[in-house]
Amino acid sequence: MNYNNYETSYTSYGGGGGSGGGFIPGEGSQSSPSGGRRDFTDSLRPVTIKQIWDAQSTGDEFRIDGATISQLTFVGQIRNLSSQTTNITYKIDDGTGVIEVKQWIDSDEAAQESNDPASKKARLVEDAYVRVWGKLKSFHDKKHVGAQIIRPVDDYNEINYHLLEATAVHLYYTKGPLEGTGARKNAGQALEQQTGAPIYGGENALQGYSAVAKKVYKYLTEAPQSNEGLHQQDIAANTGINTSDVAKAGDELLSGGLIYTTVDDQTWAVLETE
Amino acid sequence: MADAPITPRILAPHLQQFQHRTVRILGKVVQLLGESAVINADGNVDLKLTADCHLALNHAVEIIGKVEPNLSVKVLKATDFGTGIDFQAANAVVDVTHRYKEIFYSD
Repeated sequence: MNYNNYETSYTSYGGGGGSGGGFIPGEGSQSSPSGGRRDFTDSLRPVTIKQIWDAQSTGDEFRIDGATISQLTFVGQIRNLSSQTTNITYKIDDGTGVIEVKQWIDSDEAAQESNDPASKKARLVEDAYVRVWGKLKSFHDKKHVGAQIIRPVDDYNEINYHLLEATAVHLYYTKGPLEGTGARKNAGQALEQQTGAPIYGGENALQGYSAVAKKVYKYLTEAPQSNEGLHQQDIAANTGINTSDVAKAGDELLSGGLIYTTVDDQTWAVLETE
Repeated sequence: MADAPITPRILAPHLQQFQHRTVRILGKVVQLLGESAVINADGNVDLKLTADCHLALNHAVEIIGKVEPNLSVKVLKATDFGTGIDFQAANAVVDVTHRYKEIFYSD
């Protein structure tokens, strides 16, 4: 399952596709002196509602885990909604707390959408799961979120994705980047499915392949052989996998570019990449 | 916040620890018996249903409910999550909510 598509819609965390770039908090000042300040004040952070309640205010700003926040995103269920002439107020519950989310009504858009029962607005009803993007506001010491966008959740896995992402970012700020990862990695990346370009030769290259294909590939890399590679009969005999499964695994690995045929179609060698 | 109970996410093995509390459980419906049902959430959980919850066999369902002394769960709210739920990810979420509970719930 590809979770990256949730994130391309709103953020560059982890820079999907294995490029390894993306959001690196605190690094901005080193890599681009002029952009450092802007990174700091203009971030988008996935949070739980409990984190919003626990956010500390310093003047106009709010901090979560010591980091100043601006844009927030979270996923929750609408518990209650009330429409006023100028705005709609939703009570959103994500299991960690409930917060009021206000969205101003754009009168042109509202007129258009009211004629369309399948519109996103029409699906924002009680008990619907939604994703919210907005800013934390405080009015007479009462916190609420001013939302730019509220959209219905279509795939319920997005709820779990969000909670894991919020945890990863929380851990990034409280415990620092993952051990043993370079500056180009970040916390969010740890949770991403590695769906990017395969890294040939490494363990990562085999993600997405069947268990049999992995076994065959492992055998091909480890068994002694000439530069002609190994015949599928030999592989079948030595791994105990039946010939037709070996053939299927071979097809998978061939189409993935991990192995190539040598003297005939049934003899394969590992494609070494330096 | 008074009207906003926090509902910790749990699985079957946590029931004992969360007795008498309102919790959230995501599981797969394995048995439907009129006023009760059984869901699998890393182990079976017995549910006492209300009239207005509509469970479907083999669908994922998110329950908000109260853990009774006999470790069954009295359902307050049920949301159908369909058939596309990745339970491995869902169970990982429950794990992190207890491991890093500072951002999920307080005791």
